[in-house]
Amino acid sequence: MAKKVLDQRFKVLSIETSCDETSVALLDYAERGTQYAVRLRHHETATQIPIHRRFGGVVPEVAARTHVAELVSLLDRAKIISSGKRSTFDAIAVTKGPGLATALRVGVEAARTLAMLTGKPIVGVNHLEGHLASAWLVPENRRRWEFPILALLVSGGHSELVLMRDFCSYKVVGRTRDDAAGEAFDKTAKLLGLPYPGGPEMSKQAKTGNPKAFDLPRPMLKDKSLDMSFSGLKTAVRVLVDKLGLESKHAVRGTRYDLPDLCASIQAAITDVLVEKTIRAAKLHRPKCIIMVGGVSANSELQEKMARCVKAELPDVRMLKPPSGFYTDNAAMIAAAGLWRLRKGKTDAWKKLDAEPELDL
Amino acid sequence: MRNIKISSKGKTTAVKVPSENDWGLVVEKLLPLIRPGTILAVQGNLGAGKTTFIQALAKALGIKRFVPSPTFALMRSYKLPKTVNGIHRLVHVDAYRLKDELELQVLDLDEELSDGKSLLVVEWPEKIEKWIAARESRVIRLKIV
Repeated sequence: MAKKVLDQRFKVLSIETSCDETSVALLDYAERGTQYAVRLRHHETATQIPIHRRFGGVVPEVAARTHVAELVSLLDRAKIISSGKRSTFDAIAVTKGPGLATALRVGVEAARTLAMLTGKPIVGVNHLEGHLASAWLVPENRRRWEFPILALLVSGGHSELVLMRDFCSYKVVGRTRDDAAGEAFDKTAKLLGLPYPGGPEMSKQAKTGNPKAFDLPRPMLKDKSLDMSFSGLKTAVRVLVDKLGLESKHAVRGTRYDLPDLCASIQAAITDVLVEKTIRAAKLHRPKCIIMVGGVSANSELQEKMARCVKAELPDVRMLKPPSGFYTDNAAMIAAAGLWRLRKGKTDAWKKLDAEPELDL
Repeated sequence: MRNIKISSKGKTTAVKVPSENDWGLVVEKLLPLIRPGTILAVQGNLGAGKTTFIQALAKALGIKRFVPSPTFALMRSYKLPKTVNGIHRLVHVDAYRLKDELELQVLDLDEELSDGKSLLVVEWPEKIEKWIAARESRVIRLKIV
């Protein structure tokens, strides 16, 4: 039996600074018997990318410094200290890794300081666990939530198949051996001369294209393992673009071959691998539910294909909704994952909590 | 088929890689040149085979884990199970997302390498050319054409 650290009602303050985004959230939790309610009271995210551009990289350690400046104003706007000098939160959740060491440390140090000053419990959260929890922020998903759950975590930096046996109990059953799915989208888009960010641009172009127009490799699809590989797709696309006799700058005009067809074919290759590996993992590990989280889970073709295949091949498995509004890095999902830990009585000592840049699930 | 140029201390060697399974040929040529503190700058276009080469190198260094792309994370490091040429650790950096060497400062690379026992492999070194050039005596350049 886990040690009870909090009442049945509590508010979690969360901080996320693992990469380019600085984000703060306040999540309310109330529990009565087996019922519980979750409400996101406050959520604000500041992205660093335009600031990076403005400074043109002139300021050393700009990432960490910007996190510091942003974090202070985000915390101020979250009104975490009421007029009576009392804190408006009962616990703190902070991303401890994986991510950039200097960026992570900003969030971790701020959270530790708050824990020291207020005496509130603090919990370090794995950023990837946060992505898993993003699906749980969708109210409909909470009602249908049942373990074991198979999660496909797909973003610019990750492509992992995770089996969740319970809250806070994870096993990575498959992962990319080289590039992440989001990276595959961005880099092949770049080879076609599409503007950044390439992923969303590619799916826009793909809408009117024929996904069977070009035959692209689906690496490791026949392979029995649940691992994935996307690096070879770049080479295949490059060979194809060269063969078509095009400089990438011409490709975007689509004058000499159909750009939508090429985009649709690339998208089909990536999503086929993701869906096929998820279905295979589900047949092997027999989950009750499947979730898709991370930036790439916003891709509508992936959502449709996954829903279709789960329905056809796994009639007893529930496909939960994508984490709309929480696809990219955000603090709300960190609060949710922190809440999972806090409910189980898991906390960290603020004196010992440290950033872990190479943390795994 | 890829042509590889390895340049170190003013000398250039050319290696041909007939297929994607032949990156071991480059690793063989490279290993005797590597010392603790070496910076290996790996240049080549998207899809040229940088990832495949680095995986072959990691394997030759005894690393059993996969070496996934560090594009998003910017940096990943791997402890070697056994010291090779005095090297204890492989640090893999990808400058693809960086605009210039000033953005590299978030990684605090000099601190990261201060143990003097690491091999640093950098993808997209052209993005951080000034940083690389300032350490030229330790640099091996590998160009995939």
